[in-house]
Amino acid sequence: MTAIIEVKDLVKVYNGSIRAVDGITFDVAEGEVFGFLGPNGAGKTTTIAVLTTLLQKTSGECKVCDIDVSKHPTEVRRSIGLVPQEMTVDDDLTGRENMILQATLYGVDMKVAKERITELLALVKLEEAADRMVKTYSGGMRKRLELSEGLIHRPRVLFLDEPTLGLDIQTRTTMWDHIRDLRKNSNMTVFMTTHYLEEADSLCDRIGIIDKGKIMALDTPIKLKESLGGDVISLKISGEMDFTEPIKSVEGVLSVKKEDGSYRVKVFNGETVTAPLLQEISKRGGSVTYVSLERPNMDQVFLEYTGRSLRDAEQSGSFDRMAAARQMRRSS
Amino acid sequence: MIRETTALMVRELKHWYRAKVQIFMLLIQPIVWLGLFGQALPLKLPPAMLNGAPDYMSYMSVGMLAVTALFTCMFAGMSVVWDRRFGFLNKLRAAPIPRGSIPVSRILAAMIRAVISALMVLLIALIFTHIPGLAGLTVTSNFDILSGLGMILILVLLATAFAAIFVAIALTIKTQETLFAVINLLNLPLMFASAALFPINSMPDWLQAVAKVNPLTLAVDGMRQLLFAGSIGIYPLWVDILGLLTFSVVLVIIGIVVAMRALKEK
Ligand SMILES: Nc1ncnc2c1ncn2[C@@H]1O[C@H](COP(=O)(O)OP(=O)(O)O)[C@@H](O)[C@H]1O
Ligand SMILES: [Mg+2]
Repeated sequence: MTAIIEVKDLVKVYNGSIRAVDGITFDVAEGEVFGFLGPNGAGKTTTIAVLTTLLQKTSGECKVCDIDVSKHPTEVRRSIGLVPQEMTVDDDLTGRENMILQATLYGVDMKVAKERITELLALVKLEEAADRMVKTYSGGMRKRLELSEGLIHRPRVLFLDEPTLGLDIQTRTTMWDHIRDLRKNSNMTVFMTTHYLEEADSLCDRIGIIDKGKIMALDTPIKLKESLGGDVISLKISGEMDFTEPIKSVEGVLSVKKEDGSYRVKVFNGETVTAPLLQEISKRGGSVTYVSLERPNMDQVFLEYTGRSLRDAEQSGSFDRMAAARQMRRSS
Repeated sequence: MIRETTALMVRELKHWYRAKVQIFMLLIQPIVWLGLFGQALPLKLPPAMLNGAPDYMSYMSVGMLAVTALFTCMFAGMSVVWDRRFGFLNKLRAAPIPRGSIPVSRILAAMIRAVISALMVLLIALIFTHIPGLAGLTVTSNFDILSGLGMILILVLLATAFAAIFVAIALTIKTQETLFAVINLLNLPLMFASAALFPINSMPDWLQAVAKVNPLTLAVDGMRQLLFAGSIGIYPLWVDILGLLTFSVVLVIIGIVVAMRALKEK
């Protein structure tokens, strides 16, 4: 495995006090689809901004394609593509004009560019809309145009910041297909961020779970799920009494976590443990008001490593109002 | 460098000619000024006070050309702020282009727009003279190709200087509101502390001193000497042109330095 992105102890502090990225270390292998999963304000965009030379890091080391990002920004810019979180395609140009401008900015020969543009627009299914003004495009069309712009110079690494933010489910799925196609048809490395669990789960070879500027876990989706060690039984028990100890005493129970009146019980095999577990609780006088058995999914992985569910994190996290406003203007 | 700069400049110009409303508004303004102002303000000043212009409307029309160039360059600043807001500026910052091409393309586009707009106002003013009941620009010199080139040169230099100022300001300032405030702060003094609209000899001494080093004054002074027979300028024509050249070179250098600093990654 050759690492194409190398990050060591990266720290970014805004205005001397906001630690947006707080000492992260990771490698991304060539040809891999690597994802950062985390709530709003976790530091995903900041990490991308540093890696794409838009932002100066506070400390640490970053290399992309073996080039130091702060020492040789122009060389890094040449070998990467960026599809930013906000939509930056130009409203007052046609789709094709946007592509031609992008090709010029990346020094692609015009003859080659013309061919590639036709090819890329077909790939993202925008051939018919290519000569229309972008202001007539829907949010999903803009995002697809943005994606194909990022590919015009055949970058070795493509950075996708929240590629499906604000898109409806259907459009999101087409976007996923495009990203999967990339993976299949080229050896391009993709670094993407998302706060959608399913997206990280279904697209990424490896996922880094990031929260409050720190990487809490990093592995393949399967291993992350396995690391939860089997199934999870969620219980709600009425009353004030603490049932942690009785639950632990049941055979097959690995661990118990209590949050208010609910318990997350980790077990080897949910099917065989559930019945004895319920019996034990009722024997001790508890009355179970809710029970569910879950096979591990990314939501639980997130909860496990950050101590909160992604949805709660979203609500408490700083909401990116500017981005939301932009999104609204663009998709209306 | 040239390729990217041209591409970015063309983008700006496409925005401009596609926004037909913007061009319309730009032309409406001088039409209103020439049409209404002229009737409401029938200043009867002798040609001696008017730089040799046969009447006040001819005098003011020349000022309108320069003021139009000023306003057009101001609007160029707006589009920079807009691009920052919608992330386009970041996209440029992420591209492997020389950073200098960002301000340079803007300055060039603004200059071209300003010169074209000023020439359109010139055309309107020339037509107005021949419409009964309206007043416009009456040319009294032997206007030849050389004078025409002189006019264009003056407008190009003036517009370049203003474009550099406003592009640099817009790249430094982050929000539209602040930009508006700064523009308003600059715009009125620039316009009125100059010989663009009113002769400067009737101004108080301190204002005259300011007006004499205002690039707008140099531009209108030069253009009037080209347009009106027997015009005695505030400065000789070559001083006007040299002064404007100095202004534009210095301001472009400052503008690019300031812009590069503003575009640097923090
Ligand atoms: N330009 C900035 N100045 C100050 N704070 C910022 C800036 N950009 C982001 N932040 C803060 O840094 C943290 C991480 O933001 P960001 O990287 O955008 O997160 P994400 O992309 O994961 O939502 C947030 O708390 C955010 O408010
Ligand atoms: Mg973000």
